[in-house]
Amino acid sequence: MGNDLNRFSLSRRHVAKLMLGITAIATMPRVAFAADKDKLNAIFLPATWGTVVRDTLAPQYEAETGVKVDVQLVGRDAIHEKMATLFAAQDASFDIFNLDYSWIPEFGGGGHLLPLDSALSAEDKADFFPKALDAGTWDGMLYGIPQTIHPHVLWYRKDIYTDAKVMADYKAATGANLAPPATMDEWLQQVTFFNGKEFKGKTIYGWAAQAAKGYGNVHTWLSFLYTYGGSAFNGDFTESTLSSPESVAATEQWAKMMKFMPPGSTGFTYDDVTTSAQQGTVATALQWSWGAFAVDIPDASKTVGDWEFVVVPPVKAGGVSHPHLASWVISISKYSTHAEEAQKFIAWLETKKNDVVQASLGGGDPVRLSSYQDTKLTGETLPGSTTPRFRRYPVVLKAMETTMPRPFFPGEEAWETVVSGPLQAIQLGQMSVTDGLAAADAAVAKLLSR
Amino acid sequence: MTPTTTIRPRGGESEAHPRPSGWAAARRKFGPLLPMAPGMLFLFVMSIYPTFYSLFISLFRWNLADPSRARFGGLHNYVLLLTDVTFWNAVLVTFIFVGAAVSMELVLGLGIALLFFHRFPGDRFLRAVLILPMVVAPVVVGLLSRYMLNVQFGVVNFLTENLGLGRIDFLGDPAWALGTLIVIDIWQWTPFMFLIMLAALQGVPEDIIEAAKVDGARSGRIFFDHILPLIRYPVAVAVALRMIDAFRVYDIIYMTTRGGPIDVTQTLSWQIYDAGFKSLDIGYAAAYSWLMLIIVVVAVTLTLKFLLPDGDAK
Repeated sequence: MGNDLNRFSLSRRHVAKLMLGITAIATMPRVAFAADKDKLNAIFLPATWGTVVRDTLAPQYEAETGVKVDVQLVGRDAIHEKMATLFAAQDASFDIFNLDYSWIPEFGGGGHLLPLDSALSAEDKADFFPKALDAGTWDGMLYGIPQTIHPHVLWYRKDIYTDAKVMADYKAATGANLAPPATMDEWLQQVTFFNGKEFKGKTIYGWAAQAAKGYGNVHTWLSFLYTYGGSAFNGDFTESTLSSPESVAATEQWAKMMKFMPPGSTGFTYDDVTTSAQQGTVATALQWSWGAFAVDIPDASKTVGDWEFVVVPPVKAGGVSHPHLASWVISISKYSTHAEEAQKFIAWLETKKNDVVQASLGGGDPVRLSSYQDTKLTGETLPGSTTPRFRRYPVVLKAMETTMPRPFFPGEEAWETVVSGPLQAIQLGQMSVTDGLAAADAAVAKLLSR
Repeated sequence: MTPTTTIRPRGGESEAHPRPSGWAAARRKFGPLLPMAPGMLFLFVMSIYPTFYSLFISLFRWNLADPSRARFGGLHNYVLLLTDVTFWNAVLVTFIFVGAAVSMELVLGLGIALLFFHRFPGDRFLRAVLILPMVVAPVVVGLLSRYMLNVQFGVVNFLTENLGLGRIDFLGDPAWALGTLIVIDIWQWTPFMFLIMLAALQGVPEDIIEAAKVDGARSGRIFFDHILPLIRYPVAVAVALRMIDAFRVYDIIYMTTRGGPIDVTQTLSWQIYDAGFKSLDIGYAAAYSWLMLIIVVVAVTLTLKFLLPDGDAK
């Protein structure tokens, strides 16, 4: 054995060769990277606005400018994880990221995103929804150019609401005329009535909304919280205010409503709500405005053209509701080595023309006010029908006037994870509303102490 | 072997054995280590350094999104964790999961191995079919389970309804969720136990069993008095491996319950994911990981002491 080892001869020449090899390997990525100087790497959400960029707009941009944009579609949680780890390593692998706006304080505040104020002209900025721009702004700096906005709107089945028998039954049961709900209590009365009824040979349930643990149930509940005048925090995000009377009232209403969702709704995600709407198993739904595209896809939906939309009902008739705002923005990594080119690309994605193109290709709801007047969108009807394809737009415009963002501070992602558990305990009747909200307050206090 | 004595010349190296130059001495000393260097380097980079680095960062209040504000916190993270009810709930959930899943897998694996102990027609084919769940990625198992257990459209609920049991929210009902995850784990990992138990049984000398039979021992007696003591080492290894793996369960939870409903399926590894990748609080997540490491080491050591009580658990 010893002899075998002694046969191994380590000479200076061997060491020199080894060092040469290591140097060659170490310099290879730089050489390869230099060859990719005209290529941008981007991560988008695998929602329709992400696929539109990958399949249509990025190839078009390459044809126009010669700059290739390699778009990878990655799930929401994975984008968040990727950004955190890449930024921690100051890694330049990706230039462009599609962000849920609630991450802007976290990553913008952490100094990982490039300020984009110069990417949009004053004229452009005036055309964007102010709330959409606010969602991409932290500490006075624009870190994310809005790509889509979608506030919560109330979906209702027009065919059910206009059915003579259903209307008569509703009148007999409640003494009221059946119409899209004008107040939260009216909505509760309607979902109570609809739940378990037969319509066109199918059992229907009162409503559907995201209810899964994680962020789903929090996102639904926020529309109730805001509409009842509650708020999650004090002004400087140092104290959780979930036990306020407004918050208790909102949560009580939300908890009552949750009893009229389809079986298995505890785990309902965006996809489950969409499926319920497509299959026609619910009479109403609280869902993002953008998601309406899915119920009008003939191959996937049994309710094409049947859904109509109104704003989330206020607490009292004639009052104002505050639906929860969802929005996705596009940002550039501070560590990007192609920042200038990346900025040109994302500004191009959100030109007036491309905002309309994205919407017409089935992307998210437009971020520019002018797009909502564009006849290419407003004049389009569903195939073989006179029903407008984008009939939700007037409601989206109205909802955008009073919509409110989720708590806009660097710990939002952690906050909704923490609040989600106690809310689910309330939802399942394992905790009273006051106990559940007190538990949520305590959990948030613990989080803030970290 | 004859003992030998080497007589070295006094006063240093002789001319026949000149002192090697610096380079030659280094070559003689470290040359034999060089072939091991890649492995040692890999071990250091991928395991030793990250382990101790995680201990280091567990003492910091450190958010990944804003590393510039990281500051030393001493035992702050550990104190927060040990006084947090969600941590102790996660410990309880994890122990229930690991205890129930691994013990059932052991019993079933051993039982099935006993059935396969004697050859029968088609046993090779059945053995191959039995180990199929083990080769499926846990993420896929989780996804399939989610669809199969769906309350409205799932095939399992179709069956329960036809059997008159009604529809059951296996993943959304707090009374069912953890039990359902345990069953999924048992379904996937019983084949692992089965394979090890079968190999162990096939190593038991036939003559011992024959001698016991000649002495008039019944099957149960033969199993408990002769076979089980002989296979205790493979059993201990299999249980230890499965325990370590079950403590880390994550994929199935991610694809099915995501820690819910409420906190019923919130295991230690899920909590670490939440702290590390949702909250990006890596100091806290590192402290969590260290506490989990201690818990796993203690639990596995105690289990091995129980399974190998005669001082064999070394």
